[in-house]
Amino acid sequence: MSAKTTTPREIIFRVRRFDPDTDTVPHWDEFRMHVHDGMTVLEALHQLKAEQTPNLAYRSSCRMGVCGSCGMFVNDLPMLACQTQVLHLGTDVVTVAPLPNYPNVKDLVPNLEPLIQKHAAIKPFIIFTNQEEIDEPTGEFIQTPEERESISQFTHCIKCGLCLAACPTVATDPQFLGPQALAQAYRYSADNRDCGLKERLVALDAFHGPYQCHMAGACSQACPKGVDPAFAIQLLKRTLVLDSIGFGKKKSKLAKVMPLADVVKQIEEFAPPPRTAK
Amino acid sequence: MRETRLWSLHILVIPIIAVLLGMHFAVMHYAPVFYGMSVEKAREFSTMIERGKSVSQFVIYMLLLVASLYHGLYGLRGILRELPLTPRLVKVVDIGILLFGLFIFALGTYVTWWTFNFGG
Repeated sequence: MSAKTTTPREIIFRVRRFDPDTDTVPHWDEFRMHVHDGMTVLEALHQLKAEQTPNLAYRSSCRMGVCGSCGMFVNDLPMLACQTQVLHLGTDVVTVAPLPNYPNVKDLVPNLEPLIQKHAAIKPFIIFTNQEEIDEPTGEFIQTPEERESISQFTHCIKCGLCLAACPTVATDPQFLGPQALAQAYRYSADNRDCGLKERLVALDAFHGPYQCHMAGACSQACPKGVDPAFAIQLLKRTLVLDSIGFGKKKSKLAKVMPLADVVKQIEEFAPPPRTAK
Repeated sequence: MRETRLWSLHILVIPIIAVLLGMHFAVMHYAPVFYGMSVEKAREFSTMIERGKSVSQFVIYMLLLVASLYHGLYGLRGILRELPLTPRLVKVVDIGILLFGLFIFALGTYVTWWTFNFGG
């Protein structure tokens, strides 16, 4: 835990409020509070709710950048409130608004339904089509460290939705699949155990698929987990183009089944020597 | 056609346009450098008609017409389809751009063919 090294500084919080039961349009409320070194925007919101405005609505859960619940538009940039220190923003006035490009449920709570729908549309799971192998498994599917590394960063997505909030294309074309879904489409299609690219083509090989990306790169800047969705979209384009001209992943290369006998042999080879009593 | 093929084609024609446009520039704007001819002379109607009779000119300009029309209209379609359109309007945009492209192609082909066959 960081030590409180400086005296608390007064910060003005401009919070965008919207209550669908009473408001027709959102409005801004201002709150003053003393912020100490190390205090995050989420902690400040907790304090505001406890001391000044008990009906303030926002989402949060883990408080350590893992769950992705507290995505907000802080000083006009999408950020996780739990990972953003107020004094690091360097402004005396901090504006907090719900994530753009999503419908607003209440105050700082966005409706993440578009994110979930787009994510589901690209079938974000490993699709294996060898029914015989599914029914009667003959061994283990191998993924080498290199194969894992090639998709590793894209597996870190926590579905916080910041990338869609940052995306200028989503802002003008809500039907665009967006960086989150497209990065996940690449993550699964590039997985050596997957043979589901054909099934994903319904969503991907369409106007609102990866070709709509303007390559602004805002998604990669916004991602709190270091994922580079803009890069994934370019890799996905390459995958789709290669597939369209018949140079896609071949099924035979996908199903790398290691016979059980070989698995046992490998285990025996790497097994530690048996313990002997001293 | 699948969007991947449409997009790939739009990327593929970029180097073709670059080369053909380079040839066009060499003939029309850098004639003093490449042909020892003044720019004014290179742009004269009679010079153009004379040039248009050669097979290479015909092929170059037909290819340039097809490549630049496809590239430009694919881009225009992208811009228009980013607007909040109803599915009906999306069809109107797609068909409208296709028809407009075919019309311009027919017009360009007519001019190039006329110059090649009957000009002068």
